[in-house]
Amino acid sequence: MNNNNLNYLVNSLYLIKPELVISAVIVLLVLVDLIMMKNKKLLPYLSVAGLLVAAYFIIEHFETNTFAFSTGSSAGMMIVDPFGNFFKLLIVFASILVVLFSVASTEIKNSFDRHGEYYALIFGMILGMMFMVSASDLIVIYISLELVSFSSYILAGFTKRSIRNSEASLKYVIYGGISSGIMLFGISIIYGITGSTNLYEINSLIQAPQVQSLTFLLAGILIFVGIGYKISAAPFHFWTPDVYEGAPIPITAYLSIASKAAGFALLIRFIKVTFIQSIDPEGFWHLLAIIDWKTFIIIISILTMTLGNFAALWQSNMKRLLAYSSIAHAGYLLLGLAVMSNEGITAILIYFIVYAFMNLGAFFVVMLIANKIGSEELDDYKGLGYSTPFLGVSLAIFLVSLTGLPPTAGFIGKLYIFIALIDAKMIVVAVIALLNSVVSLYYYIKVLKHMFLDKAEKEIPAFTTSYSSAILLVAIVAPILIFGIYFTPIVDLAKNSITLLGF
Amino acid sequence: MTENLLIQFAIIILFLPLLGFVVTLFLGSKVKKIFLFENFVLILAFILSVIMVFAKLNYYPQENIVSEFHWISLNNVPLFGTLNIDLGILVDNISVLMIFVVTLISMLVHIFSIAYMHGDKRYNRYFAYLGIFTFSMTGIVFTHDILMMYIFWELVGLSSYLLIGFWFEKKSASDAGKKAFIVNRIGDIGMFSGILILFSTYHTFTFDKIFTQISLGVLPFNSEFWLTVTGILIFCGAIGKSAQFPLHVWLPDAMEGPTPVSALIHAATMVAAGVYLVVRVFPILTGGALEFIAIIGALSAFIPATIALTQNDIKKVLAYSTVSQLGYMVMALGVGAYKFAFFHLVTHAFFKAALFLGSGSVIHAMHHEQDIRNMGGLRKKLPLTYATFLISTIAISGVPLTSGFLSKDGILAGTFAFGSLTGQWFFAFVGFFVALLTAFYMFRLVILTFHGEPRNKEKFDHAKESPFVMVMPLVVLAALSIFIWYTPNPFNPEQGAFLSKWIKAPTIVVPQNARYSFMKNDVIKPAEQVQTAKPKTEAEITFSESYTEAMHHAHIPAMLLSLTLAGLGILLAFSFYQWKKLDPDKLANSIKPLYKLSYNKWYFDEIYQATFVAFTLGLSNVLYWIDTYIIDGIVNGSATVTKQFSKFSGTFDNIVVDGLVNLMATISGFIGLMFRRLQTGKVQTYIVVVVFSLVIILFLFKSF
Repeated sequence: MNNNNLNYLVNSLYLIKPELVISAVIVLLVLVDLIMMKNKKLLPYLSVAGLLVAAYFIIEHFETNTFAFSTGSSAGMMIVDPFGNFFKLLIVFASILVVLFSVASTEIKNSFDRHGEYYALIFGMILGMMFMVSASDLIVIYISLELVSFSSYILAGFTKRSIRNSEASLKYVIYGGISSGIMLFGISIIYGITGSTNLYEINSLIQAPQVQSLTFLLAGILIFVGIGYKISAAPFHFWTPDVYEGAPIPITAYLSIASKAAGFALLIRFIKVTFIQSIDPEGFWHLLAIIDWKTFIIIISILTMTLGNFAALWQSNMKRLLAYSSIAHAGYLLLGLAVMSNEGITAILIYFIVYAFMNLGAFFVVMLIANKIGSEELDDYKGLGYSTPFLGVSLAIFLVSLTGLPPTAGFIGKLYIFIALIDAKMIVVAVIALLNSVVSLYYYIKVLKHMFLDKAEKEIPAFTTSYSSAILLVAIVAPILIFGIYFTPIVDLAKNSITLLGF
Repeated sequence: MTENLLIQFAIIILFLPLLGFVVTLFLGSKVKKIFLFENFVLILAFILSVIMVFAKLNYYPQENIVSEFHWISLNNVPLFGTLNIDLGILVDNISVLMIFVVTLISMLVHIFSIAYMHGDKRYNRYFAYLGIFTFSMTGIVFTHDILMMYIFWELVGLSSYLLIGFWFEKKSASDAGKKAFIVNRIGDIGMFSGILILFSTYHTFTFDKIFTQISLGVLPFNSEFWLTVTGILIFCGAIGKSAQFPLHVWLPDAMEGPTPVSALIHAATMVAAGVYLVVRVFPILTGGALEFIAIIGALSAFIPATIALTQNDIKKVLAYSTVSQLGYMVMALGVGAYKFAFFHLVTHAFFKAALFLGSGSVIHAMHHEQDIRNMGGLRKKLPLTYATFLISTIAISGVPLTSGFLSKDGILAGTFAFGSLTGQWFFAFVGFFVALLTAFYMFRLVILTFHGEPRNKEKFDHAKESPFVMVMPLVVLAALSIFIWYTPNPFNPEQGAFLSKWIKAPTIVVPQNARYSFMKNDVIKPAEQVQTAKPKTEAEITFSESYTEAMHHAHIPAMLLSLTLAGLGILLAFSFYQWKKLDPDKLANSIKPLYKLSYNKWYFDEIYQATFVAFTLGLSNVLYWIDTYIIDGIVNGSATVTKQFSKFSGTFDNIVVDGLVNLMATISGFIGLMFRRLQTGKVQTYIVVVVFSLVIILFLFKSF
């Protein structure tokens, strides 16, 4: 092996400390699982500890802004920058919560003997997502995407108990396979035109006017299909409701936050790095005219949110309802990208912080309720507000926040998206998004109506939650109310995290 | 002690009662003794505020310590410009003195309530409510901006509502709660409009920044008239909260709440918040606004004083007396006697809290008897309550050696000076006349309650002195009504640190020609200043020397006159009720119309009932009528029509009646249904759709 290349490799290792930690934890988890056959209680704590160490390394290098694994030219395979670090932190945060959810989940508890696999697979996903948010090379992008996908295919069907579990998993595999095939096709076209897989190099190569725009358009859109499937943007969202409904609830929650966040980070990086021409002083991007990304994203986002919101109106299963709601939220998030400005990215980051809390929280409550009553059907929620007021009120707060009403944090997230839209003079789009929010109010509030206003057909005995779950729930509810009133910290965090390497 | 530490103390004092509220409310039904936690929290807050007041006044007697943070920072908002909202804490002499008063009285009321409320079925919840009230009041005291003031303003309104209606099973109590809430809302609308005018002009809520901009000559809508209007609008909030004329009607009804609550909220602290608000915004008040404030204050001092003469409910008398005393403070602010207004706020808080708690002790001993016609002779049964009640009564009547004498005398001197400078003697006249009335009705109350022979033998025999936790607060509060805490010289309050060092009149920022003539700066006459060449005192920064002069001149005559009147009032009370030289009934008969006017509280409730309430009810009746006869008629008519037509037109009818909203809902549902249809559950279909939409997208975008 070329000595010089080895040097590059070793020099870059310190930049990927969080990823190394996660990899080490995967190995550790498997080992511990093998050694301690009987006692699996240690695994979640080990996972949380590993995640905290990773979080520490991310924060330590938060302001780093450089390439890792340089290929000898000016660019590298990976990027470490505040933007990526923000998403890594978000992923780690969501992972910690999901590990804690899993501890409380009856579904996961019932598959007691396979805990080791479960946590190892989650960490496989984490590793994939961390590479996804920092990849600057099409090959790395593809491999990390596949790593995330394969782990999630297995996790979606993890419990194996019910048919719907296995069905969800199988659909997910087929659908994901097709999507990644389409994406790979796009990648190969780009490589064929430019002879490079590095986004930065491609960017400099296509600045020339003689680029074949139709072929490039085809390639760009084929790659978008692969990413669009990850973020469940319409019309590539079809797997979402089926998989969300079939998968164990902690995994559903995880898919709705972490892999969506990683997908968004990838999408933003891909579009901005590959197609950027210049950024004006006000933070608006000017992209190369090869693909009209702005119009494209606007159309996709309006389609996504409209479809998500309207289809959610008819759902009678909580998980399915939240699945459609998460599709709708992907639509709002895409609007932030459609603005094509730094302000829009800030809005997306703010929205993601808020969305992580409220969506994870909503799934957590649904899980706690399912633990007790063994159902996620909306009809079984009747009267729940009185038999378990604590869970009822918490879910109410999460749903109000998802609607985007003050004084919850969800309002702040939407507020910044709308401000970005209005600043970019995209008033019509803002109005459409606003009307969509009105539609969403209906199905969110319908849940509250079932819980608080409808009488239960058969009496549900009052039940309480365990202290650990209650504390965890309060820890998720409190930020939603606090950030709804005092949101400067998250806004500042987001503003400090929009730096992408090179821009 | 650093400035930073003071801010941290303020934050801790602010949030301690909130913690108490949350803990007490949520654990109240499970842990019986949780009220002790709330008490502990308040004692802790009080100790901290003692340390804070000591440190502030000793080490930083001049500084205004501010700590603020960006609450909202949206730099550019379309159509408006920069929108940055800061919230923050202001620690100055006024706020630390006020926080001392609030935490002290709140703590004493908490302790008093342990015995007074004993056995109540919502015992813990009561303490939780006291906690949220104390939190809100602390917020008002420490705020450095008018938005936070408004937020906490509404919060005290809420807690007051909760506590007035605490015994909501009683209809009169829940009605009184609603009345207080609604009447306050009227004032708050004014205040809110004022705040909006300020914010739209200055783009900030912070007092200091608003003051600076006004002193630079930036005015709302570029006119002094609007500055006056703004001042008056903000003062409307004070009219509501401090129960000033014409919105004073809620306070006497608020006496339906537990008596310790009346002492804390409806005598000492919350109702003083209105005065505190005017104190805070004093620099922006123009001459016109101040005159309006003075008139409202004078009317509020006079009318309730006349009502208090004839009331028979011990708490109602005290309630009207509170309105009257608050009127005094407001009037004092209106005539420019800023320092004495705040001084009176503090002294009044102590002796009025003592009076209310004393009445609570009496009511407790008499088994919830509040009518003074059934009392009498209680002096022997309740010696400590009597002693403290008497001291407080002497203080409120303005007899020398008490705190009330010092502050009331200052206010009277202020009105006197105002009269001599402007020729308007109306305020002085009202002030002195009310002093006479106050002395009379307060001693009437004392004599009827404690002196003479017991008029209800049975209840009298069962009465006994209250337990220690109830008497102790009385003793503390009565002790604070003695002059020695405020000044070494019982006849000149200006010699005490309170007025000479701690309380400074603020610098007026309104344009010169919008001020009272005597508030204009003397800077125009430099020659004179060089001549006098004495060190400038803080009063001169705000007011011309002529006002200070006039205050000095007014001091002695005002004192003599007020002494005479107080003496006369007390003498009259004794000759009517103690020695029975004069017969109150005969007098009442001889001036029957006046007596009836007073006894029926000037018919305010009846007038409001006949006008505003009747109008609102009438309006709602009209709407109801329209609803029942016209709307329902239409509906019924269309129902009949539907019956007569065939199924075809019936469908059509439904669409029209249900209207656009339902149509939209149906369309939405239909779209949703269509989208749902796409979700067949067959993965083959999904993939076909994906590939198909890919082709469509390519087709749409290929032109680029």
